[in-house]
Amino acid sequence: MTNSFKNILVPIDGSIYSEKALERACEFVETFDSKLILTYVVEKSIPINLLDRKEYLGILQKFGTNILQKAKHELSKKNIPVRTFLKEGNIANEIDKIAKKEKCDLIIVGNKGLGSVTRLLLGSVSNKISQSSSCSVLIVK
Amino acid sequence: MAVKTKKILVPLDGSKNSIRGLDMAIHIARQSQGTVTALAVKTVPGIYALHPLGFLDFNSMTEIKKLLAEAKVRAAQKGIDLTGKAIAGDPGYDIARFANNPKNKIDMVVIGARGRGSAKEIFLGSVSNYVLHKSKKPVLIVK
Repeated sequence: MTNSFKNILVPIDGSIYSEKALERACEFVETFDSKLILTYVVEKSIPINLLDRKEYLGILQKFGTNILQKAKHELSKKNIPVRTFLKEGNIANEIDKIAKKEKCDLIIVGNKGLGSVTRLLLGSVSNKISQSSSCSVLIVK
Repeated sequence: MAVKTKKILVPLDGSKNSIRGLDMAIHIARQSQGTVTALAVKTVPGIYALHPLGFLDFNSMTEIKKLLAEAKVRAAQKGIDLTGKAIAGDPGYDIARFANNPKNKIDMVVIGARGRGSAKEIFLGSVSNYVLHKSKKPVLIVK
């Protein structure tokens, strides 16, 4: 079959929605025997006070590595090998870049995240990914 | 695993992209022993919904029936059970309503990124976008 999922990318941000996405991804891995890639993106584009900037990014980075470690630990219990990435920059752009670089066939995202405004229907990042990514996207609700 | 994709909904409109979506759904159904439900919506301008003559357009209804028959053959070749449904109405609204209806027990919606809408958006079709926002079930967008 040509359209089997070899690599699955799961961007996580620590919210319950991303956990749901991860759960769904596990199911895909089990049925399709594919590789899993986890990523956390530290958002750099928000205007932060110049003085606090470094500290703020440091905190976010620590938060990101924490989440990735936790997810990795959780998945190792299920015997699922994962690769993790920690990136900096615009969230949607970075996810797109990783998907291209690692030749992912599928991106699994939760429908909402940790954005300041929890939208009623669809988060801004999920929306952007679904619009602009070059591979298939699964929105978990 | 708690979540299982047993019933997959595929909206069809006859475009190349929707056929790709169908192939993907068949592929997923094969892996998880699920069934596929194909949904073809005949576009009816809103005003006809109130007017009984709107449904007398048998000509295009046969077109949709043909589409579903083709889909059935395609699924049967791969050994997947496919049930077809033909509806008249507004595509986006009716697809979302069908997916959200608890009676239908849909676990996942697989949809092509673009269909045959007249105003072609560069990345994502208007119907796909509508379904993506309104459906309460997971949506897989096939590109």
